[in-house]
Amino acid sequence: MANHQQETGNPFAAPPRQEDRRASRERVLTLAFRLLTYAILACALSIFLGVVMRGAPVIFQAEAPFINTDFFTRLPETLVVYEDDQGEVRKLSATRFEEMRSANPGRRFSIVDSYSYSGGGILGPLVGTALLIAICMAISLSVGIASAIYLSEYSSKGRFMSTVRLAILNLAGVPSIVFGLFGLGLFCLAAPNLVPVDQIADRSLFSVPIPLTGAAVSFEGWGACMLAGGCTLAIMILPVIITAAEESLRAVPQGFREASLALGATRWQTIRKSVLPYAFPGMLTASILGITRVAGETAPIMFTAAVAHKDKLPWIGQDPDSSWAGRFLDFFFQSVQALPYHIYTVAAKIPQSEYNKDMQYGSVFVFMALVFFFAALSIWLRARIRRRLHW
Amino acid sequence: MQIVSEQKDKNKRVSGRFVAESRGFLGLTRADLIHYFFGGNASLAIFILLLICVFLFKEAAGFLPDHHRGLTKWRQSGQEFVDILNVAVDGHTRLGSSLNISYYAELNSSSKEEQAKLFASRAVLQRVKAALRGPSGRLRKLAAELEEVREDLADTEQDLAGGVLEPAKRALSEAELSGHRAMIAAIEARIVVIEARVVEGMEEALAGQEVWEGQQLEGADRQAVSEMVRGEFDGQVGTHPWVAELEQTVRTRKAERIPQLAGFKNASGNFRDAIKPMKTFIAPLREAASELKRQAIAAESAPKRKAALLAGAEATEDPEERARKLAQAEAVVVEEPDYDAGAEKYYSAVADFEASVAVLRTEIEAAVRALPEATELTDPSGRQNLARFRAGLPDYFDSLERAVARAKAWRHDKPYSWSRSFFAFLVGKDWITNSSWHDFYGLLPLFTGSLLISLIALVVSVPFALGAAIYVNQVASAREQNLIKPAIEFIQAIPSVVLGFFGIMVLGTLLRDVSQLPWLAWVPGFPLQERLNIINAGLLLAFMAVPTIFTLCEDALNNVPRAYTSGALALGATRMQTILRIIVPTALSGIIAAILLGFGRIIGETMVVLLVAGGKIQIPDFSKGIGVVGEAAHTMTGIIAQETGEVDRGSLHWRALFMVGLVLFSISLAVNWGAQIVLRRFQRHGT
Repeated sequence: MANHQQETGNPFAAPPRQEDRRASRERVLTLAFRLLTYAILACALSIFLGVVMRGAPVIFQAEAPFINTDFFTRLPETLVVYEDDQGEVRKLSATRFEEMRSANPGRRFSIVDSYSYSGGGILGPLVGTALLIAICMAISLSVGIASAIYLSEYSSKGRFMSTVRLAILNLAGVPSIVFGLFGLGLFCLAAPNLVPVDQIADRSLFSVPIPLTGAAVSFEGWGACMLAGGCTLAIMILPVIITAAEESLRAVPQGFREASLALGATRWQTIRKSVLPYAFPGMLTASILGITRVAGETAPIMFTAAVAHKDKLPWIGQDPDSSWAGRFLDFFFQSVQALPYHIYTVAAKIPQSEYNKDMQYGSVFVFMALVFFFAALSIWLRARIRRRLHW
Repeated sequence: MQIVSEQKDKNKRVSGRFVAESRGFLGLTRADLIHYFFGGNASLAIFILLLICVFLFKEAAGFLPDHHRGLTKWRQSGQEFVDILNVAVDGHTRLGSSLNISYYAELNSSSKEEQAKLFASRAVLQRVKAALRGPSGRLRKLAAELEEVREDLADTEQDLAGGVLEPAKRALSEAELSGHRAMIAAIEARIVVIEARVVEGMEEALAGQEVWEGQQLEGADRQAVSEMVRGEFDGQVGTHPWVAELEQTVRTRKAERIPQLAGFKNASGNFRDAIKPMKTFIAPLREAASELKRQAIAAESAPKRKAALLAGAEATEDPEERARKLAQAEAVVVEEPDYDAGAEKYYSAVADFEASVAVLRTEIEAAVRALPEATELTDPSGRQNLARFRAGLPDYFDSLERAVARAKAWRHDKPYSWSRSFFAFLVGKDWITNSSWHDFYGLLPLFTGSLLISLIALVVSVPFALGAAIYVNQVASAREQNLIKPAIEFIQAIPSVVLGFFGIMVLGTLLRDVSQLPWLAWVPGFPLQERLNIINAGLLLAFMAVPTIFTLCEDALNNVPRAYTSGALALGATRMQTILRIIVPTALSGIIAAILLGFGRIIGETMVVLLVAGGKIQIPDFSKGIGVVGEAAHTMTGIIAQETGEVDRGSLHWRALFMVGLVLFSISLAVNWGAQIVLRRFQRHGT
């Protein structure tokens, strides 16, 4: 061994007989790592295929328009399992069943079973999720990008800075259900709300009457509503947005700033004209990444915004007599259905049977497709940015 | 370069504006205002973190005093005393069930195979029937209809035979008659069609694999069962000979066994009866404690009720109504019940308790002497359970001794210490809510569930994530990297509720079916009893944690200075030697931080454990060893998600849930903090 080393001057080299064994060990290890990697991908693929195989038939159909339009244009409703006079057991959503029953008065249908929320479509949850995402992103992007600008452009190493960074890091690790509890405590039960003086709730922490208006600012919270859910999600996603936006700001070369400042621009002018435009695509990616995270979250909206049952879309049924502002507030202060919560409801809260599988797999399929669409969009955008902007 | 020159042009155009700015708002320049605006946004992160603390504390704040008060009542009312006494009954029940299982396993051991076959045949029949539920129901309805029409027909025929009808009516009846006959024919035709459909469906089901799945019926047995099913659908009366024969065998074998096991049966019966006096002894005490507790709770809310009644009396105009309400308010008892008088009963019961424990002990010892030795039994399950019974007996006797000692030492007026009530939450073994006895808020079952699931998830995910990170970072070609990295990002995007759904629908059934394969019976915990259990949740969470750990590990590997790698390669090390001896050890602290952060992510995950862990609030039975992973459990995150929506705001239960949230929050902060420390060491090492 020692002789061999001296000859080649290579401390790792093995005598020729061991060379073979070493090479085969090398191959085995490489193969093991490769197997581990592809095992992960195989698991992902099997989950993906499992959902697609059961979900796609619910969404797509053989005849025109090739897509199950009911599934996207109706609210969730009760699913009726009935038996017609041919002895066939079929299923229909409650309204469709009534329509058919009144269209065929001569025939007899006997209801065998019914399942809540398993019929109709998922329009309500889709709209609710979209609204929650919109509110969440509006808040978290404005706050997040402003924070990122501070961290990247104004930062001077100091105690404040390190505290902020530590806070962001810790915020990123807080479990989503804790954000849910926090949102429940703050937005639903303690946030300031404008109410008539005689309707102040008992739970109000304190209230300040506004003279002459008959209204008061009462710290009694907003109840479970869209706005509370959106704010909770926004706070949850804030660390992700800040980190990603700061990264894209830092990716803009220092020379841009120096050149601008050297020409006499103020700091704000520099940021606005020479930094932000080049960091913008990166921030866009970050925000889309944020959407994928937010769309998938259930725990934070469970007590702050989501309900299982709602028989109308958010913009329908508003009081036409109330003022513009009143209607605006009514709109945001109502609870919504949300897709992840809908999936939770149909998967865990109602009795399981073969008949409500369609709703389950259909919802999951649409949800996965949505989330993957956003994920793919962010990956594609990032690749594009990398190609186009390099300096 | 191009961009910079463009910038120059722009700056030239606006250069006129670059003049000193006037002092604006509150003596701050515009630049200052912008600075503070951004700074304010950044400090929001700190502010939010503080707010989370404040609001969790605010809602959880009342928990400790309320919990303490509840536990004090538990002691004062004597419920604690009864719970101490009840140890004797609980332990006896546990032992008794082992003994019972052992006896019946032994009794059935000689005819095990036959019973399994019978059971399987019944299961198959059930499945076939379930598959044909629709047409069978329709057949039943048609038969009822047929019966009705036949009765009508008979009535009409009778009328006609009577022969006293007017001609017009007669014609009508005859028309009716033919109508009925046509209807009967139609119904009978439908019955024939549907019967054919039933038979067809049955044959189809029997020919398919689905109804046989998981049942150990092969060859001749399968044929016999098929025949039996067919007979059942043909409406044959009496049992199929195959079934009858099996049943007969089971009966005779059991009958042969019963006299052999008479001693065993007698002894286990004696054991069961031994507890009866103890139960009758405890029952009145339990009632008294319940009553005292009820009075105590009523007294607690009395001032509020009284105030409400008085306020109501103030508000009413009607003098009679007012008088009535005032009288009601007078009648409300505000005083606490007389605990001292109540406690006398308990103190005087201590001696009797000791005596009954002694009796119980001698009776049990006598019963146990008559029991066979575990080695005398033939059935493995019987042996195992009897051995468990014998092993548990000394512990039970010890617990009896301790119960007597505790009952002697118990004092109703001894103040319940604060630290004790705090630890009753932190390490309490029961989380029992909405009970008629006493609500316990002990974190331990939830914490163990969370921890166990997280550990399984880590053990499974770390090799995969680390292996993949090494592979992607060191071995894979650029093209592979471009495939794997986005794929893992996609995994990160899979919503947790979807994974939970997958766990319910697919993984749970898959795991259970796999665990029932006979050649896997040696695996501890197999076959799994339930679909939703710890291992199911652990595997799904492992899958969820892979992207987090992978990304952070890959970063850590990437941060290893290139010089290290080049140096190792230059010295002639092979690729794997470089990776395993140079790169991984250098990146080790980064990898540990990644694992820690992955752990933080897993323990805080809610939806998967809520859907898949099984929702049983109990400390998993660790006596099974690794087999514990087959049990259902509940977690801290799951309990918050499940119960927060349903409890009254401000109640003790509500506050307890916020306390759980606070514990979770602290865990996440601690994990983050640990990761920071580890990472800081890594940075020192790396540069």
